[in-house]
Amino acid sequence: MLKILIPTLMLIPTAWFAPPKWLWPLTLMGSLLIAVTSFSWFKSTSEVGWTTLNSYMATDPLSTPLLALTCWLLPLMILASQHHTHNEPLNRQRTYLTLLISLQFFLILAFSATELIMFYVMFEATLLPTLMIITRWGNQAERLNAGMYFLFYTLASSLPLLVALLILQNTSGTLSLLTLQYMSPMSLTTHADKLWWVGCLLAFLVKMPLYGVHLWLPKAHVEAPIAGSMILAAVLLKLGGFGMMRMMLVLEPLTKEMLYPFIVFALWGIVMAGSICLRQTDLKSLIAYSSVSHMGLVVAGILVQTPWGFAGALILMIAHGLTSSALFCLANTNYERIHSRSILLARGLHMVLPLMATWWFFASMANLALPPLPNLMGELMIITSLIGWSYWTLALTGTGMLITASYSMYMFITTQRGPLPNHLVALDPSHTREHLIMALHLLPLILLILNPQLISGWVN
Amino acid sequence: MLTRLPRLGVSLPRLLCNPPARFVSQSKPSGSAGAASVTELHPPEEKSGHGEVSPYVKNPDYHGFSRDPVVDEWNMRVGFFFGISVALVIGGTFIHYLPDHGMREWARREAERVVLQREQEGAPLLSEYYFDPEKIVLPSSGEQ
Repeated sequence: MLKILIPTLMLIPTAWFAPPKWLWPLTLMGSLLIAVTSFSWFKSTSEVGWTTLNSYMATDPLSTPLLALTCWLLPLMILASQHHTHNEPLNRQRTYLTLLISLQFFLILAFSATELIMFYVMFEATLLPTLMIITRWGNQAERLNAGMYFLFYTLASSLPLLVALLILQNTSGTLSLLTLQYMSPMSLTTHADKLWWVGCLLAFLVKMPLYGVHLWLPKAHVEAPIAGSMILAAVLLKLGGFGMMRMMLVLEPLTKEMLYPFIVFALWGIVMAGSICLRQTDLKSLIAYSSVSHMGLVVAGILVQTPWGFAGALILMIAHGLTSSALFCLANTNYERIHSRSILLARGLHMVLPLMATWWFFASMANLALPPLPNLMGELMIITSLIGWSYWTLALTGTGMLITASYSMYMFITTQRGPLPNHLVALDPSHTREHLIMALHLLPLILLILNPQLISGWVN
Repeated sequence: MLTRLPRLGVSLPRLLCNPPARFVSQSKPSGSAGAASVTELHPPEEKSGHGEVSPYVKNPDYHGFSRDPVVDEWNMRVGFFFGISVALVIGGTFIHYLPDHGMREWARREAERVVLQREQEGAPLLSEYYFDPEKIVLPSSGEQ
């Protein structure tokens, strides 16, 4: 664990003391080396579930894929941010890198935490660098509003979580996941217990986000700079899913009666958020609502509490992390050329940027869950476990998959196909850097087809 | 955003070329905070002029990393070497050769092999009994 945490912390002095010319190559190299070292977590060295165990942190088949995704994303964020920050003062660039690195540090601690209070503190700690990234490096005036929505939605919903965790500590005597997993189900019969159940999950439902409390997401994702959008879509949403999966341990017998309204919201959110995507003119907003839709499926998969539901949720979280981040990078390549997020201003791009069109194609096909990519595998596992819970969910999940395919195709066809408009006369060719980012997003996704048991948790 | 169209070589009506006083901010955006208003209008210019110059003009081998060609080249090499050759290839090989944790893959192969063998023998794939009936020791009916 320390062989990844200490180099991550040491990237911060690297960012501050690197010579100006070599700042970005050095941090890129450091972060890629850390990402490679993070693959060592996949080697599970013990017979029990928890590996790399120390007093505060451990990894298990649930947190390992998310940790690897976090470590993989930092070099991608560095690559993506290099261009739009190149005219900024040097110290501002160093600060930006420090914020990204500190986000990775807090996220590693959050995913590997064995004690729930440590997880809570790290969960909150990730809010601060993200807020700074959105409000200080966003491009439009709306970034301030977006930052406020982001901060206060998450803060307000996580205060009940703190109270709920303290109650849990009082009743069960421990908040360590290692002990809590063996706790017998508590007797949860009063209305106060039902409120406690909601308190435990509300923070994560807002973070995921569940449709209904999702208003912060389109604002935050759209107004954030590219690295902010990437880390938000790829990892910070998954903090919510991860938290839900951990809390399910202790929420035992109440869940099967309390989950009804939340599954309904989640399933309805798949359809509604997908439908809104079809009406978006802002490209980043389209991708943001697409995230809401996919995460609705993940929430439903977690709440039904079956092995396939959990496995499908984890697979979909990892696959969606890579896909959504890739789509935001693609939208950013458009934005850096025409300085607009409009889906209509840059059309017919496959005539001028055919290689980038190939990446657009792969990313859009991944978004609509094309087999054999893990996106489909996760969605199928969730839908199957939902059918086991109730046949009627198929109507909503099926419609959701149909709408997902529609808006993914709509996004691809509108940006790439069709006639090249007359006003596009001077677009820069695609940079090698942009091709590298897309390759580093989509090649791991394709490689995961060959080894899905890495990301499927405890189910082989 | 449409006010930036002149940069792309499209000529605009005079109203957009000469911003009237009703635009919100007349001041230049301060360097690091960026423009709070989106109405700063750059005059239409040619590629080698004083506006936004494409980096490909000075460095035809621009890779997108840095305006300095040497740093640009090295950054590209670092990115591709550590990203593809080390991370994806070496890391991928490491992951491919990870041991079979919990013998799950072995269990799947063994099950398939045993099923095939029993089908060939004509024996039932699984016995009906979960336990071996001969190993169950029952108390005789005479005792208490």
